[in-house]
Amino acid sequence: MSTVLEFNNVSVNVKVAGTEVALLRNVSFSVGQGRILGLVGESGAGKSMVGRVLSGLLPSNLRFASGEVRFQGNVLTGRDARAFLGRRIAFIPQEPLSALNPVLTIRQQMFEHLKHLKIPRAQWQSYSVARLAEVGLPEPEAMLLRYPHQLSGGQCQRILIAMAFSGDPELIVADEPTTALDVVTQAQIIRVLREVQRRHNTAVILVTHDLRMAAHVCDEVAVMYAGDVVERGPAATVLESPLHPYAWSLKNATPSLEGPQYVLPTLADLMPGLKDMAELKGCRFSRRCPTRDEVCARTVPVLEQIVDGHFVACAGNCRAQAGQRQPELHVLPEPSISAAQPLLEFREVSRVYQGRSKGTLFHALRPLSLTVRPGELVGVVGESGSGKSTVARLMVGLIEPSDGEVLINGLSRASATAAQQAEMRKVIQMVFQDPDSALNPRRTVERLVTQVLDLQPGITPQARREAAERLMNQVGIATDALHRFSSQLSGGQKQRVNIARALCMAPQLLVADEIVSGLDVSVQALIMNLLLTLNRELGIAVVLISHDLSVIRYLCHRVLVMREGYVVEQGDTEAVFSNPKHPYTRTLLASVPPDDANAVWPREVEVV
Amino acid sequence: MSTLAATSSRSSVGAWLAHPKVLVGGLLVLIFVCVAVFAPWLAPNDPNAQDLLATLLPPMWDEGGLAQYPLGTDSLGRCVFSRLIYGSRLALLVAVVAATGAMVLGTVLAIIAGYMGGMFDRVTSAIVVLWMAFPPVVFSMMLMVGLGTGVVNVILAVVLVDWTRFFRVVRAEVLVARHREYVYAAQLLGFSHVRIMLAEVLPSVAPLIITLFSLQMGVAIIVEALLSFVGLSVPSDVVAWGVMLADGRDQIYQAGWNLLAPVCGIIFAVLGFNLLSDGLRIVLDPRLKKRGSDA
Amino acid sequence: MSSGIVFLLGRKLGSVVLTSIVLSIVVFIVLRMIPADPLGMMLSPSATQADADALRAALGLDKSIARQYLVWLGQALQGNLGESIFFRAPVLQLLADTLPATLELAFVSLFMALAISIPGGIILYKLNGKKGEVLADFGLVLLLSIPSFLWGIILIIVFGVLYPVLPFMGRLGSDFDAGGAGQFLLITLLFSGQWSAWWDALSHLLLPALALALSFSPIIIRVLRSSLLDTATEQYVMVARLRGQSEWRVLMHHMLKNAALPTLTLIGVQFGFLFGGTLLIEVIFSFPGMGNLMVQAIKNHDLPLIQGVALVFCLMVLTVNFCIDGLYAVLNPRLRNA
Repeated sequence: MSTVLEFNNVSVNVKVAGTEVALLRNVSFSVGQGRILGLVGESGAGKSMVGRVLSGLLPSNLRFASGEVRFQGNVLTGRDARAFLGRRIAFIPQEPLSALNPVLTIRQQMFEHLKHLKIPRAQWQSYSVARLAEVGLPEPEAMLLRYPHQLSGGQCQRILIAMAFSGDPELIVADEPTTALDVVTQAQIIRVLREVQRRHNTAVILVTHDLRMAAHVCDEVAVMYAGDVVERGPAATVLESPLHPYAWSLKNATPSLEGPQYVLPTLADLMPGLKDMAELKGCRFSRRCPTRDEVCARTVPVLEQIVDGHFVACAGNCRAQAGQRQPELHVLPEPSISAAQPLLEFREVSRVYQGRSKGTLFHALRPLSLTVRPGELVGVVGESGSGKSTVARLMVGLIEPSDGEVLINGLSRASATAAQQAEMRKVIQMVFQDPDSALNPRRTVERLVTQVLDLQPGITPQARREAAERLMNQVGIATDALHRFSSQLSGGQKQRVNIARALCMAPQLLVADEIVSGLDVSVQALIMNLLLTLNRELGIAVVLISHDLSVIRYLCHRVLVMREGYVVEQGDTEAVFSNPKHPYTRTLLASVPPDDANAVWPREVEVV
Repeated sequence: MSTLAATSSRSSVGAWLAHPKVLVGGLLVLIFVCVAVFAPWLAPNDPNAQDLLATLLPPMWDEGGLAQYPLGTDSLGRCVFSRLIYGSRLALLVAVVAATGAMVLGTVLAIIAGYMGGMFDRVTSAIVVLWMAFPPVVFSMMLMVGLGTGVVNVILAVVLVDWTRFFRVVRAEVLVARHREYVYAAQLLGFSHVRIMLAEVLPSVAPLIITLFSLQMGVAIIVEALLSFVGLSVPSDVVAWGVMLADGRDQIYQAGWNLLAPVCGIIFAVLGFNLLSDGLRIVLDPRLKKRGSDA
Repeated sequence: MSSGIVFLLGRKLGSVVLTSIVLSIVVFIVLRMIPADPLGMMLSPSATQADADALRAALGLDKSIARQYLVWLGQALQGNLGESIFFRAPVLQLLADTLPATLELAFVSLFMALAISIPGGIILYKLNGKKGEVLADFGLVLLLSIPSFLWGIILIIVFGVLYPVLPFMGRLGSDFDAGGAGQFLLITLLFSGQWSAWWDALSHLLLPALALALSFSPIIIRVLRSSLLDTATEQYVMVARLRGQSEWRVLMHHMLKNAALPTLTLIGVQFGFLFGGTLLIEVIFSFPGMGNLMVQAIKNHDLPLIQGVALVFCLMVLTVNFCIDGLYAVLNPRLRNA
């Protein structure tokens, strides 16, 4: 087996405020023919930078500082890389729907690529059909004549995979190919990718933030943090027993779907940005590392082999402590399922919309009945288009039901007076998904969290300040952030400000609509633990809307599984997840990469 | 791909002025305003005083020119330089008042239509589409025929023709802001619609409105010049650049410089407003600032 | 093409008709706000009140506005747009005589504008981030600040008076047959083989068309450049590069096709300005087109003529917008098969 690609101590620098910062620092790895290497890391780790180096399309302010890249044994220059693009080194992009030109048909784009590959014109049609069939697309001839906007994300990604494998490249870089897709589609695409890869015996670099997925799909995994490779080894080993403290917290920050649950470890602070990296001379993880000692901040860690093929870069003595970390078991707080009146009740609530052409109706939500009692933690899980967001909006009153009743504390919202509705707003509040859109960029954090106090004319600036500080403490942000604007906050901080704003009303029920999707795993853990704390200490009930099953398992006693407006299954989370009855629930569960590295994933599941 | 953007800084007034377009445009506008305001002190002669013995004199640096008439005289012996200066008064008046009128009318309707949606939006949008089928030049001329001449009517004509510019652009922006989650959040907190429109939506479209306002002032000057060129604007005792253009056009072979003064005046003022508008647009919208340095 | 397009365009056609009718009402009403009395022009100083009343009745001006409108509409639908008070000729005839000239002017200037602005937009886009950009940008704003009638005057001074290379009056020089009313000179002269006359007609068109083109181009350049900048950041452009496509191909094949869409929309919106611009240009260049006719009609308070010309202007704008909408639907697959 030959080595297709080698990175030997590669460093790429960028100029920041006069000094040079290494975006990639002494990165070393190799990929053999027919093997898959996973590059795992959160955003800002530098994993995408590897792809950029390979494409030869480095922006002008970046400099290749040291080390060498070897492709098929020969040193790779920027010019070579560009010449190989599409032919010997191919890429599979992240957002399939926007990666295809919207005004050209699939055929036009495919043919353009085949021309570039110097395939004879006479063969274009048959070749394209064969490639599309290979990735499992039905009716490839018809598919060729379509436009991208007529296709789903999964279909587009299959086409992009087909195009990448056209011409039999020696190396493929797949940059987060499934991140923008639904969970079930993700599993399907991964399966397709692996099948085609095996058939062509291509070397693949899979860039992802999902350690579990990488462990199941890849032969070898390299975990990256702030431009360093912190751990590298056989995929199953790295998942089962990660040695580096960052890899360990990465693995454990995603709650598991089976077996006992542990409290999610949270790391203080954030992955260093460019400015911070300029100051960190030694180990870049040391500031957040729970096992650091004073040598860490001074020494640049180097990858060392621990056992066969398993490398760790750590300056301290964490390796010795690796096996000694005992996570504590996680137990959900008991909800007060008293005889008390339910906070929120749906009685056969449904929501229908007028379709675009006359006469068609779009059922966003089929008749649904549910109750949420004080202190409960309820999850609503489903893919996009399942109706879960509609449920959230119906709960808080942003939209009205087409049929059925929504009751807050026993009182129907539809028949409530204005004063009663104002009271209802104090009971149930919502935290929105997109913190960029949910926070007015022109307001300071203080004004944002205390926004509701604008309605109380008599409030003094002093009282306002105190309220703001109290809220910030509740969500765990330093009070000096109060005078900042939302654009100056990190994603996790923005989301917490979002929560704080909802808390200002002292609600009894929080509806959290996909509030952790799009956040880094470590930040996700923070937010989830915050919600748990709020529930435990203040008794706030939470309805969590998410597509992420493991998050729901961690946070919720009860779960509703939704699909295309229907609730296909509901019940106690443990019961539903360990013994799913509905085929869709089974498909959903099977689409999540399991914790056990030896389990087979993705499996062939019934397509519902 | 990982982002390399540096953190953006809050723009202060100092940062505003630092942008070259704002600086230059602002300077031009300032000069224009000063000339208009201080016209009586700046002009050497009475712009309407006719000196029939000294018609079509060349500028003073040319042979035959007089120092008394720095840019020469027109066919009725009136001082071109003074007329140029006094003409700026009319231009400024029309610019400011008409732009304000168009802005208020267009913006108010746009915010209500964009935010409330429904029948109001459909009706106003249909009206605007109709309105815009009229070539503006034709429309404004017709309005002047219908309303009669005079400064007030000119201003009215500009407002009636151009409010649609504000409406279309502001409404599009309002529609975007309307669906931002912070508007929903405000609704959930119990704020009334009017309050949300004023406190959340209006500030987010304010930069756009300011930009359009400056642009509109330039447009108003052009429309006024156009109307007075065809004699549909102001009575003959009011000095207007367009009238100077019309006069000069008739004398183009004998006294071409009579044309240059109003041409330069119009271009100067409109350029100032356009530069200012452009610069403000970039300064006030942080997204556009990064345009130049994208790899 | 799907039935979707046909349906879409059919609906638009319907709205064009409806819009025309509504606009005719608006024109009618606006002009009736007039304080001046058209009759004053037509009566001799010694006319009595009885004469005035008789004339008024003959012209139908004694009826209510609504009635007058319906009379007018009925006549218009039969092809009779009334008679010009000043010229004492049927409005329709006057329009037919002058419309071709204006259309020729408009299309030649549109052609010139595109020839200037498409390369201009691409060049300006390529300059992005480079040294020349600031200068080019300022230059663009300067060009934007010069309306068409000023361009006309500048061009006359430069190319008509100072360096007299091109004629700037009328459609044809005095050497040639001063006909040409109601004809598309560029076409008729070409087909009848009168080369020198054809060249003369063309050279008379050059300056006015250039004036219009120069006022139109900066706007198109601007929107083309900003659409190109927008497209450049789209994922599919990056992905095409990663597939190894050359920069040239990426620009021409992928980006331009997408950037053309908003540019096309803008051209449609601005066309109204272009047509309105012909008005003053024709006056400045003494070009015997509809715009010149309109200005004369306005000076004479010639209501039927003003109405007729205003309507035709609106109809032309609507027609052009209709064509552009159709073109847009053809080019944008998302509208074709939703």
